[in-house]
Amino acid sequence: MSGREMDNANPTILSISELPSRRRKDKDGVDGPEDFGIQAIMMAKPSYAMDPFYLSDYSDTDSDDSSLEPIDEQEVYDLIAPISDPEHPLSLASLGVVKLQDVHLTSPSDLTNPAALTRVLVELTPTVTHCSLATVIGLGVRVRLEQALPPSYRVEVRIKEGTHSSAAEVNKQLGDKERVAAALENANLMGILKKMMKPCME
Amino acid sequence: MDKPGPQLVHLADFKPPSAARAWVSIPNPNGLPLIATATSEKTVRVYSLSNFTLHSTLEGGHSRSIRSVAWKPSTQDNGELCIATGSFDSTMGLWRRKEEGGALRAGGSGEPLELEVTRNGIKHDEEGSDDGEDWEFAIVLEGHDSEVKHVAYSPSGQWLASCSRDKSIWIWEEIGEEGDDEFETVAVLQEHTADVKCVSWRAASSYKDEGEVLASASYDDTIRLWREEEEGEWGCFAVMEGHDGTVWSLEWEPLVSVKRFDLEDGRPPRLLSSSADGTIRLWSLAPAAPSPNKPSYFNSGIPSTMRPAPAAEKWICTAVLPKVHDLPVYSISWSARTGQVVSTGGDGRVAIYEERKREPAETEAEPKPEETAESAKPSATTEWVVVTILDGAHGPYEVNHVTWCPRYDAGKKSADEELIITTGDDGLVKAWTVEGNPIES
Repeated sequence: MSGREMDNANPTILSISELPSRRRKDKDGVDGPEDFGIQAIMMAKPSYAMDPFYLSDYSDTDSDDSSLEPIDEQEVYDLIAPISDPEHPLSLASLGVVKLQDVHLTSPSDLTNPAALTRVLVELTPTVTHCSLATVIGLGVRVRLEQALPPSYRVEVRIKEGTHSSAAEVNKQLGDKERVAAALENANLMGILKKMMKPCME
Repeated sequence: MDKPGPQLVHLADFKPPSAARAWVSIPNPNGLPLIATATSEKTVRVYSLSNFTLHSTLEGGHSRSIRSVAWKPSTQDNGELCIATGSFDSTMGLWRRKEEGGALRAGGSGEPLELEVTRNGIKHDEEGSDDGEDWEFAIVLEGHDSEVKHVAYSPSGQWLASCSRDKSIWIWEEIGEEGDDEFETVAVLQEHTADVKCVSWRAASSYKDEGEVLASASYDDTIRLWREEEEGEWGCFAVMEGHDGTVWSLEWEPLVSVKRFDLEDGRPPRLLSSSADGTIRLWSLAPAAPSPNKPSYFNSGIPSTMRPAPAAEKWICTAVLPKVHDLPVYSISWSARTGQVVSTGGDGRVAIYEERKREPAETEAEPKPEETAESAKPSATTEWVVVTILDGAHGPYEVNHVTWCPRYDAGKKSADEELIITTGDDGLVKAWTVEGNPIES
């Protein structure tokens, strides 16, 4: 991947204060997901902890008592907002790829049925309409949510309409369970995904 | 209507389960009480259908998920089991295992003998020697450029078909003596414009004197039919377009159904397909002359020389089964005994359907749902009804595969009772009975 020209060398970057967050209000702003300082690198978890397969539960992302309440859009957003762009050392939230208003949740009518499914739809806005990394970014978002959310959540990741020249192809690929499964057995791709996920683990 | 309707009742989980996603479970076609499950642990787990426990494991042959598994139809009584595997590592494997003390019987008529075979197998397990070494990884078949999605033996055992993300279908033939492990590539079929997800064989002579016919389903949303046009020359002779999403699985109509609904004497078996669009469609040979292929969504940019030749047969969608899934339908199975169909998919539902003859008066009175309107005519004499639906067959997990399977365990209620076997993302393989099935009475 290195040595290639960037699709978008000068992306618009949102400042942290512009990003929607609930936690920052609750706590004292110590958990800024955009913390890329030396401390974060020093404190990084061992690499196995970054393996999306390893993170089979969602307790690491929310140690508070939120498991008693249904998961809402903000929580889904918080899971994916810190994911790093594969091209820039910036979060998907600060690049405007992931937006709170583009996270949609459909909860089952019968909450007592353990097999009832919740649908999650995340629409991504690529920084440029020809972004060749849209599939990788989408894969990262899908994998992050599938690993972090309970198994009754069905995750759909799509490119927001009108924001990408080959959105239909990317959407079909991201929706194909078999392709996603095979991609996660590709060592090169997993290397990229682990790098993207790193900020989520900090 | 007053009686409780038919329902799926959980019979057993096969133990121990896979620790990761299980993709598919295929019952042995030669009358042995065994079922083989392909897993993302890079293994195949062979379970006993007599007691729902592990019989043996195939491991060490593949470096990525095993996506598909196929038993070789037994052609001779040589006491050997043979399995083909297809993996995301882009290779296929052929595995052999000598079954001690038990001779295999083609056709599987001798029931006590089969049980004896299993007991030997189980005894073997208890002696602790069953660590997978008894399955010999006989040969690796290389050729595909990327993930192998599905492998299928033809009913005669002559051909082995494989399909891949590389858009191609390969047809292999074992040459030489059984056990020589020499394979020849008979054909490489490349007319699909995207991943080929599934291949399914139609038995020879199921229509006129035709040989074995192969159907394929693809990420390009189409289904194609292939046959040996001349000696050694395979070609595509039909294209089916209608699904609005990847076609995940295919099933040919079993003889029991052909006989029951063979209204225009001498029609070929129909083909059933399931798709990411959430529908299950039934396809039939049209009596009309073939028409040129319409360019499909994925055909753009393909040079005209690579486009398929005009199809020699026209197959049309003659029914859409009642829609019960709202996520991709990954798997369907058509019972060779009862003609009932079972389906499952990403929504974790399992549904059973039945085709019934329509009362002539009803034909006019009851308009078909919108989506079947264009093609409803030829099937107007029959209708598909949902027999039963089960939600959450694997709890919150997706179900990747479903199949009808003969019952062998001690609780068997009749000589030809069938179970339903489901395979899920939770790594579990589950057995179900159908209680109160109207077709049994």
